[in-house]
Formats: sequence, C-alpha cells, structure tokens
Amino acid sequence: MKKAVFLKLRHRVQVRPKDVILAGDVAQMIADNEETLEKIKQIPIYRIEPSDKNMVVIDVMKVVDALIRFDQSLDIQTVGPAQTIIEVVYPKRNVSFIYFLLVWLLLFIGSAIAIINFHEDVSMKETQQHLYTMITGEKADKPLLFQIPYSIGLGIGMIVFFNHVFRKRLNEEPSPLEVEMFNYQQSIDQYVILHENKESMKRIDDGD
Amino acid sequence: MAIKTIAMIAIGFAGGLAVGTGFVAFLVVLGVIPRLTQLTKTEKWIHAYEWSAVSGAVVGGWISLRSSMLYAAKYWLVPIGLLSGIFIGMLAAALTEVLNVWPILAKRMRMANKIVLLMMAIVLGKVFGSLFYWIYFVEAGSP
Repeated sequence: MKKAVFLKLRHRVQVRPKDVILAGDVAQMIADNEETLEKIKQIPIYRIEPSDKNMVVIDVMKVVDALIRFDQSLDIQTVGPAQTIIEVVYPKRNVSFIYFLLVWLLLFIGSAIAIINFHEDVSMKETQQHLYTMITGEKADKPLLFQIPYSIGLGIGMIVFFNHVFRKRLNEEPSPLEVEMFNYQQSIDQYVILHENKESMKRIDDGD
Repeated sequence: MAIKTIAMIAIGFAGGLAVGTGFVAFLVVLGVIPRLTQLTKTEKWIHAYEWSAVSGAVVGGWISLRSSMLYAAKYWLVPIGLLSGIFIGMLAAALTEVLNVWPILAKRMRMANKIVLLMMAIVLGKVFGSLFYWIYFVEAGSP
C-alpha cells in the first residue's frame, strides 16, 4: 500500500548562509505514520551557495522529486503555494547614524519646500485673506489666527491618516502604510517567483 | 433675452456638474473618508459623511462666489483653521502614500525599523514649512 503524505510549502523561509535546507524547513507535512514523517522531514533539498545572493526559489516539483527518490512508495499530495521563497539572511550591516540623519533631513526639507510650493500653487494666501474678511468683516494681510492652527492641523491630519496615535488601541485593522508595504512585498515576491525560478520558464533554445 | 438666460443657466449648471464630479472623484481616489470611518468605526454613518462633503462643497462654493460676510468674532478662525489643516494634512498624507514612497524607503534604504521616525520627518517638515511660509515667507502686504 502506498504511504500518503500531504505536503504544503511555506510561503517564505529565512535561512542563514551555507545552511542546508531540509524538506521539513520548506514544507509542512502530514503523514499517517510518525516514523515516516520524521524521516522525510530530514531529507536535504538544497544547499545555499554564496552565488545564490539573498533569494532562492524552491519549486514544489523539486521537493516532490527529492521525496520520491527517497521512498518510491510515497503517495504525495501537494496543497497550497507551488513555490517557496528562501531568504538568505546575512549578518546585519548597521545603518550608520549619519546616513540616517541625511535621509531624515532630506525628507524634512523636501516636505517643507513641497508644502510651500503647494501653498503658492493654489494661491492659499489670497484664499485665507478672503476667508478672514468673510468671517470677521475686516481686512488682514496675515491672518495668523487662521494660519497657525492650520499649520498644526496639517501635522495632525497626516498622523491621523497613518494611525500612529491610536496605534493598536482603536482597532486591529492595518494602517494604509502597512497595507502599502504588504502590497509592495507581494509584488516583489511575485516577480521573484517567476524570475528566480528556473523551472517556471522554458525557452526554445534550452535544448531539452 | 430668454435664450441668453437659458444659455447661461445651462453653461453654469454644466460647469458645476463637471467640477462637482471631479471633486468627488478626487476625494474617492485619495480615500480620506473611508480612512476616517475606519478609524472611528462609524461605517453606518458613511452616507452622512457623503452629505457633509457635498454640502460643505456647496456652501463653500456659494459663499466664496457671493463674497458674503458674517461679521463674526475672529476667534472662529481658530477651529476652522485647525480643521482645514487636518483635512489638507490627510490629503497630503494620502498623496505621499499613493506615490509609494514608503515601501521604497523601507526596502531600498534598509530602514524598515525607522519608518516612524522618517514619517515624523515628513510631518514636522510640513508643519515647519507651513509656519515658515505664513510667518516669514509671505511678506505682509507686499507691494
């Protein structure tokens, strides 16, 4: 009788350089026999080489192939994603403080100039003078009573949008920032799966 | 005469219609209203929010075209200023987010853990830039 094994690849696995990836690392598996399960979890699938840089894609076919070679009598059922992204984590290089400070200043000055340009562009000065006259009936060249709360509100509005004041307190939903990061990661994964995975494309001149 | 009047009404109405739809499309694309309802958990009032945006646009359009005057105390300007600032701030934040600045910053510059500090740079930059603009940059009654 064939031994049934259910296999589900993980989406993303982090490993260290020069690690050997075992079947148990890249996939969750279920088998009706504990002993078989422990054995097949130890099957080596791939060894990380320095030439792999920081991403490797393991196709489900490769895992199935290794399992079949190990034991012909396995009946393998695969569920879920067809490939795993292996992320090779190198010891972290620390970002220098000066580099960070430069980026910080770049963003600070950039956004300050951007808001000034925006005010000029939409003639906000005239609008606010007009508004001051509309409400009070007097003329004012610099309606600071309006403009200073406006400037503070500008900051509050941005923070409210990104939900950093109410973090975790108001609700569990992800902030737009987190969703945006997720989408970006998703697109990168999609790209990597297709381009780093040599099994996913077959060209005319591959010769096999 | 009657034809002139009818033509003016038709042109004015058509212009208003175009600007109104554009305004709504702009708000929808930036998603400020959904964000606010999501934060405050008031999804069931969403239609009231629609009406608030619409009536705000109508009232603003009317009084700015008519140059009406209210002769109210000038301290009314403080809450109005604050609220309009928050609104513009949310628009600005939505734009920064739409432009995908954040993921690029986090991934490319390896600063995923400092993203809050970088966001504060942008927020403080906006506040500083705005204050600087109103207090020093704009010369009072410049000739």
